[in-house]
Amino acid sequence: MTKRRMFLRMITASLLRRRSRMLIALLSIGIGATILAGLVTIYVDVPRQMGAQFRSFGANMLLLSEDGKSMDTDQVKSALEVIAPDQLVGAAPYRYVRLDMTTRQQSFTAAGTDFSQIVKTSPYFSVEGRYPENPREVLVGKEIAETIGIREGSGMELTWQPSENETAGDPAEDRQPGAVLSGSAEGWSGGKVYVTVKLDDASGIASLTIDAGTQTPEIGGMVQTDEAFNAQFIGKSLPLSLGSGVDALSGATVTSAAVVEALNTARDAAKRETAKTVKYTVSGILTTGGEEEAYVFMSLEDMANLTGANRVDVAELSVSASSEELDAYAEKITREKEGVKARLVKRVTRSETAVLGKLQSLVFLVTAVVLVLTMICVSTTMMAVVSERRREIGLRKALGASDQSIRAEFLGEGLFLGGLGGILGAILGFVFAQVVSVNVFGSSITFQPLLLPAAVIVSMAVAALSCLQPIKRAVAIDPAIVLKDE
Amino acid sequence: MSLLELRNVSKIYGDLKALDNVSIHVDKGEWVAIMGPSGSGKSTMMNIIGCMDKPTMGEVLLDGVDIAKESSKKLTDIRRDKIGLIFQQFHMVNYLTAVENVMVSQYYHSMPDEQEALEALERVGLRERAHHLPSQLSGGEQQRVCVARALINHPELILADEPTGNLDEANENIVLDLFARLHAEGTTLIVVTHDPEVAEAAQRTIVLEHGKVAREVVNENFEAQQKEWLARLKD
Repeated sequence: MTKRRMFLRMITASLLRRRSRMLIALLSIGIGATILAGLVTIYVDVPRQMGAQFRSFGANMLLLSEDGKSMDTDQVKSALEVIAPDQLVGAAPYRYVRLDMTTRQQSFTAAGTDFSQIVKTSPYFSVEGRYPENPREVLVGKEIAETIGIREGSGMELTWQPSENETAGDPAEDRQPGAVLSGSAEGWSGGKVYVTVKLDDASGIASLTIDAGTQTPEIGGMVQTDEAFNAQFIGKSLPLSLGSGVDALSGATVTSAAVVEALNTARDAAKRETAKTVKYTVSGILTTGGEEEAYVFMSLEDMANLTGANRVDVAELSVSASSEELDAYAEKITREKEGVKARLVKRVTRSETAVLGKLQSLVFLVTAVVLVLTMICVSTTMMAVVSERRREIGLRKALGASDQSIRAEFLGEGLFLGGLGGILGAILGFVFAQVVSVNVFGSSITFQPLLLPAAVIVSMAVAALSCLQPIKRAVAIDPAIVLKDE
Repeated sequence: MSLLELRNVSKIYGDLKALDNVSIHVDKGEWVAIMGPSGSGKSTMMNIIGCMDKPTMGEVLLDGVDIAKESSKKLTDIRRDKIGLIFQQFHMVNYLTAVENVMVSQYYHSMPDEQEALEALERVGLRERAHHLPSQLSGGEQQRVCVARALINHPELILADEPTGNLDEANENIVLDLFARLHAEGTTLIVVTHDPEVAEAAQRTIVLEHGKVAREVVNENFEAQQKEWLARLKD
């Protein structure tokens, strides 16, 4: 048998056959390790937990177009690839347009989006009814619903018209140079007046032809030929009104008015051709307490069908990452992805960092206190063990044990207890952290594989430190004690 | 040839002279008893011979080395290598079995050898009790384990402090039988006792009184006793 085996045999015998005392030491190390391992697990897990909590307050990153206009969906997709998939909680794209509800003489901001992502990025959205699932379903903000008296299941006819500032890509044909528009209006005694108008580059009137054959030839009919009357329209933009910029032909006010009206009709008719009206069904009413209540939401596909373009104005991202990581992501997206810039929602990310910092320093403090308490407890127990075993230590010294062997034996027992307590603590600590996490954060945590070796090493170090004073006392015991008749 | 020699050894605790200018010698292979009432300086002498204490004055030559001048670390080495100790209170490590207790002594001395330890227990007649804990052994059995432990490293000197003080007569005889056998094998024995019967078993008795050697008594019947013992052991 080697000396090492005898050493281990003595230590295990001491621990196994002197159970009660050693159980107390083991228990104090175990409980200390349990609390430590638990706290460390929570400490490590808290950012994730708190992150999840903060994510419920909304997105913490925005993707915007670099030139202030809109992005196409591929650009957004490519930007999302920068973020680690397990950190990306959700990414909701938004496309905003103005839509008219002609039947109610109202117009609203409508947002095209991805409802499956909204649930993740804006968990505080509260929907009465349900999110749209089928084509041509919309979610209506509470404010709109109250204004126009609309309910879940109601129909809603929405009209899209290309707005004045739509870009060249939009099908606003009345704004295209060289477009020819025509219209008509009722003139004198119900007779129709027809106009055909051609636009110039700047969407002013380049030329116009008036057909007033139904009017009295010498009076209303003169609008066809009167050069001054015709010339005053050239270069003007539609719509027009009589008396402001254009004057009536004297003596033919009714026919002149009909010409102006016909011109305006021509413009409206052209516009109506590019406008599109779709009937939607309201699937739910949205309550958020915020500006979203004044919006109508529909799927991006419906929005693309309505406007003929699949574009995104902004994407709201919910990313579960530290503020440093968020900064890095934002910087990388802005730098690497063409046409896309990322911005952090500072209000959310800052408060998250502040709360985390406070929580972690609290955990630190408690950890330090528990460490010290464990050390005191183990040290006291070991001290009691040494005085209990004075005679045995004296005997060992009388039998020729050097101070070094005595140190090794007690340190060995301490380390053994520390290791055992560490394993115990890591397991119980995980359970403890799990209970805390489920009760406080309402979600479970994952076992950190590193926790086991870490707990064992820390417990062994604590046990070894706690043994220093007791060992000093053990070494000082006089071997002659065994000769005294006590 | 003397194995142990004390020359003018004194041990003074404050005003008390526990040992006062004592000179004795013990030859190799000799069986010596040290007797005296309590307070006579027996324990002090035992501590000094056992390398657990140093005299205030004088020389203590063990195997030619003056242990009075050695460091306590060196004394530990000498004690481990040359002396086998037997105590009145037996002193076993209470969580180790009989054989493990014997092996502890081997462990500190050189290398634990379970087979050898079992053989040592066989010599004291406790082979079948080898795996019992001290609490499962009688006082006599415990003391026999301690004898086995004391002789396992083949020490030059076996130093026994009241080895039979806590034993009944039957066990006392067993232990004395063991001593007789060790003596026959050539081991040097110093037995500190206040029991005249135990002292009478030795070749020579040194009587201490008030820290001084009062007298020395040589056992004239020793040869005869040994023969008788050996004969009885063979039965």
